[in-house]
This record gives sequence, C-alpha cells and structure tokens, in this order.
Amino acid sequence: MIKRVRFHGRGGQGMKTASRIVGTASFLEEFFVQDCPLYGAERRGAPMVAFTRLSKEPIFERGIITSPDINMIADETLLGDKSANVFQGTWEGTITIVNTHYPASHVRNVYGVVGEIVTLDITEIALNVIGESVLSSTAAAVVCKLTGMITESSLEKAVIKELSSINLKKELIEKNLQAALTCFDRIPETHPHYFEPIKEDKMDEIVKLEYADPRIGTPSVYAKGNTRLKKTGNWRLFRPVIDHEKCSRCRTCFVYCPHSCISIDEGDYPQIDYENCKGCLTCFYECPKKVISKDHEVRAW
Amino acid sequence: MSMKNAVYTKFKDISREEHISPGTALCTGCGGLLALRLAYKVLGENVVIVNAAGCFTLLSVYPYNPFSSSWMYTAMASAPAGAQGIRDALDILIKKGKLKSEENLKVVVLTGDGAANDIGLQSTSAAIHRGLDFHYFCYDNEAYSNTGFQMSSATPYGSRTATSLPGEINPQGTVQRKKDLFEIWRAHKPPYLATVSPSHPVDLSNKFEKASKFEGPKLFIALSPCPPGWSFGASNSVNIARLAVQTGIWPLKEAVYGEVKHTVIPKFKPVEKYLRTQNRYNHLFNPVKQVDVIDNIKKDVEQYWERYLDS
Amino acid sequence: MVKEMLTGNYAAAWGARLSEVDYVPAFPITPQTEIIETLSQWINDGEMNAKFTNMDSEHSMITAAGTAAATGARVFSATSSQGLLYGYEMLYNVTGWRVPLVLVNVSRGLSAPITLEPDHNDILSTRDSGFIQIHAETCQEVLDTILMAYRIAEDERVLLPVLINMDGFYLSFTREPVEIPCKDAVSRFLPEYNPKHAFFKASKPMSQGVAVLGGSAYSYFKYQMHLASLNVLTVHDEVAGEFKRIFGRSYSATEAFKIDDAEYVIIMSNSFTIKGKAAVNKFREKGLKAGLLRLRLIRPFPSTELKAFLRGKKAVAVIDQNISPGSGGILFKDVTTALYHDPDRPERILSFIGGLGGKDIGHAEFKHIVEEMEKSIETGIVPETQLLYTKNDLEHINNLLNIAGNPLEGLEN
Ligand SMILES: Cc1ncc(C[n+]2csc(CCOP(=O)(O)OP(=O)(O)O)c2C)c(N)n1
Ligand code: SF4
Ligand code: SF4
Ligand code: SF4
Ligand SMILES: [Mg+2]
Repeated sequence: MIKRVRFHGRGGQGMKTASRIVGTASFLEEFFVQDCPLYGAERRGAPMVAFTRLSKEPIFERGIITSPDINMIADETLLGDKSANVFQGTWEGTITIVNTHYPASHVRNVYGVVGEIVTLDITEIALNVIGESVLSSTAAAVVCKLTGMITESSLEKAVIKELSSINLKKELIEKNLQAALTCFDRIPETHPHYFEPIKEDKMDEIVKLEYADPRIGTPSVYAKGNTRLKKTGNWRLFRPVIDHEKCSRCRTCFVYCPHSCISIDEGDYPQIDYENCKGCLTCFYECPKKVISKDHEVRAW
Repeated sequence: MSMKNAVYTKFKDISREEHISPGTALCTGCGGLLALRLAYKVLGENVVIVNAAGCFTLLSVYPYNPFSSSWMYTAMASAPAGAQGIRDALDILIKKGKLKSEENLKVVVLTGDGAANDIGLQSTSAAIHRGLDFHYFCYDNEAYSNTGFQMSSATPYGSRTATSLPGEINPQGTVQRKKDLFEIWRAHKPPYLATVSPSHPVDLSNKFEKASKFEGPKLFIALSPCPPGWSFGASNSVNIARLAVQTGIWPLKEAVYGEVKHTVIPKFKPVEKYLRTQNRYNHLFNPVKQVDVIDNIKKDVEQYWERYLDS
Repeated sequence: MVKEMLTGNYAAAWGARLSEVDYVPAFPITPQTEIIETLSQWINDGEMNAKFTNMDSEHSMITAAGTAAATGARVFSATSSQGLLYGYEMLYNVTGWRVPLVLVNVSRGLSAPITLEPDHNDILSTRDSGFIQIHAETCQEVLDTILMAYRIAEDERVLLPVLINMDGFYLSFTREPVEIPCKDAVSRFLPEYNPKHAFFKASKPMSQGVAVLGGSAYSYFKYQMHLASLNVLTVHDEVAGEFKRIFGRSYSATEAFKIDDAEYVIIMSNSFTIKGKAAVNKFREKGLKAGLLRLRLIRPFPSTELKAFLRGKKAVAVIDQNISPGSGGILFKDVTTALYHDPDRPERILSFIGGLGGKDIGHAEFKHIVEEMEKSIETGIVPETQLLYTKNDLEHINNLLNIAGNPLEGLEN
C-alpha cells in the first residue's frame, strides 16, 4: 500500500520540514519512503509544495505528486489561489486536510472538494502550545495519523530528529512535540477513507511539436510589466491600511515600498495596490505619522 | 552633507513613475529590490538591464517580466561582458545608420555581491578598464542568497551563513573580513562610483543623477538587507539599512575619478544595535556573548572612520 | 574576384570582412591569433566598418558576441581548444538565445597534456550545444563557409549560431590559393542582417534569455532548437545551391569522393581528409574499389544523405580524430546510428582513432584500415575501436620515455 502525501504551504511555514517529519516517521516504521520539496522561483512567502511517499512495497515513483492520497493544505489563503492549484489531481480517494477553523462542510460548499475533507485549526494549536505559527510538526502529526500507518512513538522520534537537525532549541522542540501529539490525538483513529486507493491514471497523449517562428520559439517576453498578473496579494498575512484622514501625504510609505505597491493619487494621497501588496509592512513601520494599521488578512472566503 | 549637483532634497522629488511592476517572485520586503526600484526611477525607461545569476534573475521568469524597459539574463560570471556586447552593438548600429539614435539605451549591469566580488570580478575589471559606458548596480546582500545564503567574499566577519556556520572551531561564523569592493573598483579610477542604501532614497537618487553626467563606468554598491538570509522580519529592511548607515557599518560615499567623499556622516550609534537586529549574528550574543568578536567588528568600524574623519 | 595565397586564418578573416560583420569581440589563442589580429588591423585602418573589442576571456568574448547579436548586430569571432572550453557555459546560452552569430574554431588538442596541433575533441565537445557545426577541409572552404554560415544562421527557419571548424596548423597556418569573391557578388548572396526576433531598442522593450521554470516550457524551447537545427538540412542545400550559382563552387552536407562504385569507404572530416583521398587513389590504382566520405555538416547530422551514400557498401571505416576515453570515437556513433535501420546498410562498420594531437595518418595506417575492412568481411568479426599507432610511433615514444627518466628504476618490487 502506498500513500502519497502532498503538502501545500507558503515558504517559511514549515511544510518542507513537515514532509521530512512524515518521511522520517515512515522510515522509523521501516517503510519504503521518499520525501522532497519543490522549489519554484518564488522566495519566502510564496506558495510552495512538498511531498512524502510511504509504502510497504518498493516505490516505483519519483518527483512531484500530481494526484495525492493525502492533501495537506496548511494555509487556507491558498484555497482561492489559482496559481497554487491546491486541488490539482484530487479524486474520490483523496483525503484533503485544511488548516482552518471552519468546518469541513463549509470548505466543501465553497470549493466543491472531491474526496474526503477534514479540517483542523492547527495554527491555533501551534499558537497556543508553541507560541508561534510554525506548522511543521503539527501538520506532520495530522498527516501521520491520517495515513493510518504511523505510530505515535515514531512521530515523536521523527519530530525530535528533524527539528534538532535544523538547530531548534530544546524548549522549542519540546513544545513542538506537545503540539504535534495534540494534533495526532485530534484526528480520529479510523476513517472511512483509510482504504487502499484504487485509481486509474488519466491518460495524457503524445503530440508532435512543430517549429515555431523564432519570435515565439525563444523564451522572450514582449509584454511590459506583466508580473502584475501574478497578483502577489495572496502572499500577505497582514494587510496595511492607511487612515487617509490622518495621513500627512509625506510619501514616506510610497518611497519605501519595495514592491511598487503604493501609488500617489490625484489628491496626493498614497493608495495601496492590494492585488499585489505582499504585506511586508515596511510602510506600516516607516510611516512617521503612524497612520497605517495592520489588519490580520481576511479569510480566503 | 549637501552635494553640489543635488536635485533631490526630499521624498517629493522622487519620481512617481514605477519601472518595476509589482508581482515579482522576490521575497517580501527584499531590501535590494527597493534599492533597485529607487535607482530605476532616476535611470528612467530607456534602459537595458544585463543580469547575472542571482536572486534578481527571478525578477523575470517566463512568461512574466516586471519591467517597462529591456532585460537580458546572461550568466553568473559575465554580465559586464554582456553589457559590453550590447553597448558595442548599439554604438556600431547607430554609427552605421542601422539604428536611430533615439533608440539608444543605457546599459545597466545588475548582479549580486557574489557575482561582483567573486566569479564576475574579472569581467567587471575588464569592462571598467575598457572604459565601457555603463552602470553597474550591485545589490549587496552579503552572501550567495539565491542558492540559500552561502558565504561570498562580501560576507562580513562574524556573520552566519550556510557555509560559515558558527561551530567549535570558528564560533564567530565567518572568519574573513568583507572584501572591499569599493576600493577594488576605485583602483580602476572609474568616473563615478558610489555606495547607496535603500534607507537613504534622496542620497541614492542624487548619486544616480550625478552619475548620469559621466561617460564610462558608473558603479553602485547598494546595501541590500535580505530578510531570509540575514534572518529578520520582512518589515525591517529599511530600518536595518538605516542602522547600518547610522552605526557607520555601511559608509555612504562616492568617488569621482577615484576621489572619495562621504555623503553622510554617521551618528555612530552602537554597532551592537545593528547586529542585534539580525539573527545571522545571533550566535554573537547567545548563548554567551562573544565580546571579542563584537569588539573586532566595532574596531573595524572605528578604524575605518578614523581614517576618513582625520583626512 | 582575386585569387591569392592565403592561410586558413587569413581566409577566415576575409570571410568575416566580406560578410560585413558589425562586431568582433576577441581573445587571443594559438593558433587562432592571426584571424583576430587581421580583423583588428582592418577595422583600425578603416577597411572594415565594424567594432573590435579586446575581451578578457573567451567566456566574456562569447557573452559579448551573444548579447551584441541579441541587440541586432552581425557578429563574428574565433577561438580554439582551451578557449572554446573556457567559454563553454556561454555556448549553451547563445544557442538558447537563438542568435545567428558565427564563430570559427581552430582545432587544437585539449590539455592535459597541453599541445598545439589539432584534433577534434575541442569542437566535438560542443556538439550538443545547439550550434550548427560545419567542418572545413581547405582554406577556400573556410572563407566560403563563413559566407554561407551567415545565410544559414540568419534564416528565419534556423536562427542558431554556427561554429566553423578548421584544423590548427594544417589549415590555419597553411597558405594555399584562395579565391576572394568580390563585394558585389557577396552582397547579392548575403543581404544585410535585419533581425526580426532578437534586438534591443528603446521603442520596443523586451526581455531576452528569461529564466524558464517547469519542464514543459523548458522542453518546448529546447526542442525548438532541435527543430531549428534539423531545418538546416534543407536550408543548407538551398544556400549551397545559390552559392554555386553565384560563385561556382559547390558544397554539400557530406562530400563524396569516388563513392559511386566503391565497396570500401573511409569516413573522415576536416583537413586530414586529403590524406584519405590520396589513399583512396592509391587503392584504386591497385584495383581496390575504395571511396571516401567527408563529414562536413556535423550538426545537424545529415543521416539521410549518409545512408544514401553508403547503401550497399561492403565495409565502412570511420576515422575519428578525437577520443572519448572509455567509449572510443565520437563520430563513429553518429555514423552507425544513422545506418542502423537501413536494410541495405554496409555489412561492416569499423572504428579507428587517428591523428590525435596532429599525429600523422600515413599510408601504413590507411593500408591497415583497408586490410581490417577486408578481414572483417572475410571472417565476419568486427574488431573493437583501434588506435592508428605505428611501430615508428612506439619507438619514438620509447625514446622520449627514456630521456624523461625512469622513476621505476632501482625501485624494489
Ligand atoms: C557558473 C555558475 N556557478 C554557480 C551558479 C549558481 N548560482 C546561482 S545564483 C548564485 C549566487 C549568486 O550570489 P550573488 O551574486 O550574491 O546574488 P544573490 O544570489 O545574493 O542575489 C550561485 C552561486 C551559477 N548560476 N553559475
Ligand atoms: S505592506 Fe509592503 S508591499 Fe504592501 S504596501 Fe506596504 S510596503 Fe508595500
Ligand atoms: S507615510 Fe503615512 S503619513 Fe506619510 S503618506 Fe504614507 S500614510 Fe501618509
Ligand atoms: S533572498 Fe534576499 S536578496 Fe534574495 S530576493 Fe529574498 S530578500 Fe531579496
Ligand atoms: Mg548576494
């Protein structure tokens, strides 16, 4: 039996480590196992994925998992993000687990998820127990339980091993362990979908590439400034909000925005491009009048 | 300190036009990107950037591009040579009448500190030596950031990087002093050379403005606080850059044909204050304070400024 | 049109001059130096309206060549051996940029040990870079091929750079009569370069050489280079046809020498081919039906043409003037691959390595090759790759080994 786990998060949230904790725990169970992260062009804050495969038989697969058995969505803002494509290849046998305080039925209603869906507010658990929203050990614990193949003691050892390897302090590892075990307990022992998934690959087909005009056949970009289309606003955890009534129009925020997301309008007031603002909060800290506030980003729906 | 040709005195003088669109793949709060954005505002639109491998290569990832002007990625070692090719081609095509002179472009090399100090130093030296008419914008994040923050020869003494981790043998992390790229470049006597910081946009703008009056190599080193590499929160880039200037760690200066002038005299805030903002220096304070290492850093700063304030 | 005694290097310089190139970035290396010295002088004297820039390395030189071509200039440069390898990273870049520059490589054996005379490991190391590769046999061919190369490279169906190979010393420093075409004829053949896809100008910003992440996009662009290269098989013949019409000299992707009725065929490339041709003549005098094929277009590899030439032959021997240690000759594999599926393919294909570091390939070698071909027909056994190395060669090296001193002498055990 093979379980293919895909982790969706944002750079810095700990999904690479989560995939490794599950990998190590499976290794300790003496399964065949692979884990790997996928690096895109994006740096910290951008959507990323990581994978773990565990199996009782040798694994004849490698690389990205296009169709997961367990789909961990550690950041709910990714749900609505087309570029993150978190539901790619999910099917009736997939268990999707979303880190949110909403009930599963709500997620299903809004996103029409295929397969089983489980929700758990692991951020809250992390904040309560660890004190910061690092999700590596908690997300890993949820996944370990969902596989139905990993024991609590292997999870424990794996958390210690992986977190020590990234030089986390002892106290923090302790807290992570506690949070992980809390999550492990919160996921029920058995589940209707804990069965051997049966699935046929949807067949793609081979096409013949034709020669293209070199203007097209070379990686050149002719459009001006089209990174705008990337809409990096979804990287944001906090939203800067300007109180225009109190703003002195000094332009400090405009000058210091690294991402060209603040423009000056006709009335000489700064306006934030929320479609792209990454939420670095430089403007918030630099505003001399302190008239920019930061709001926890509204939920993805 | 005021500058003779100063045209920028306040934030309102800074152009509202943007030449780098939002939506790039660079990190939230990237200090180097802010410096480049500000520089671009002075350089204007008729620019072709020649880029070397580094984080900023990812500004343009097919099919996206944030620029209102042109761009070419070359390789890690040879962006200045790439600039030479473009400059030469534009010149000869204009001379031959194959290209109208209004189609001319400013050629701008864009590299990190690793490319500038290490693998690309030869091609830079040669381009300066040939008197190539170009701008060189080096965003100095003090390591090979794109590959995960390994040590470059611009990494400062005492900094932790992925290949100079503090340990039993070298508890201070990086053992070597930061290479003095400013002085290496200055030895070539280029017409214009300056350090800039994203925390000082007026100073930065004036320098780019002033440089535009010179033909030949115009070189800039921009302090570029890097949230993931230096290990600090994304909102703190400007503040950290400012502290670097205020503590005297990052001297803001220029050199016209080799003649050095400091454009900002620091307030000499305690160096420690700067170090403590970044976790790449955390091992200097925790679990035990490495007083000798911190003192060495202080001494370096003091010695630097003694030399300049005396003369 | 004038005929003059020119070295291969000088002929290459003339090729660039007649092509009215805009730009020559340069870095010296023996045996290429005369090319860039000559161009530098002509440009300095105002005889050529171009820009010449002394670069700091071949890596920089090829970068500058590529970016200048991407700006819209017609670009020429030249290098050799160590230089080609020093710039290797950039070869793959300029092909990816799809810029039609022309680069001459003057072949020279690769270090270590450092040497001066030619073999083809340098040029063949770049065979997978996407450069079109044409290998020349004579000084005339060097000049002519440069003119043809710009036509091929700048064709919208191609837009790939071209590497032209000539042997160090045997061509580069050897003078022979070369016809220098007149300017008018050349301009009829080779129009001004007017790039449509790669150029920089203020009114039309664009990004070139952009990073491509993700396998399907990367595969797409890489495969376009393959398709472009394959188009050369057609474009080359068109261009060669027109070249013949204007200049009277004809070139094909593969040169066939006494091949029609031949039973035994030797395959070679570059300047040593002339030695092979002489051997063929000698064998024919003795009644042996020998013939020769010269591989001229190496990338794209003209498999179909090769198959047609070799159909029904008794035996073929490939002489590789290169060595891939642990594998053998490089071109042997291209040849056998091309022939494998032809039901009428030659009965035997033999592999020989010769001419490394400019070592001569003399009559003894050719005699051996033919005997081996005959023997393998008789016995049905095909020998492993053989080095063409004679008794004299062995004596010579033994002498040298003696002089160098024997470190094993006096050692116990
Ligand atoms: C010849 C070569 N060697 C190594 C690399 C890998 N590489 C890509 S970016 C990079 C680091 C560049 O450092 P720097 O110039 O400081 O730019 P930064 O990454 O900090 O933006 C390295 C080592 C490469 N692209 N090319
Ligand atoms: S939070 Fe950062 S990206 Fe957003 S507007 Fe403020 S400075 Fe710009
Ligand atoms: S920095 Fe603050 S006061 Fe100044 S323009 Fe921005 S919001 Fe207004
Ligand atoms: S790693 Fe540092 S330099 Fe690179 S994009 Fe991120 S913040 Fe900028
Ligand atoms: Mg760097």
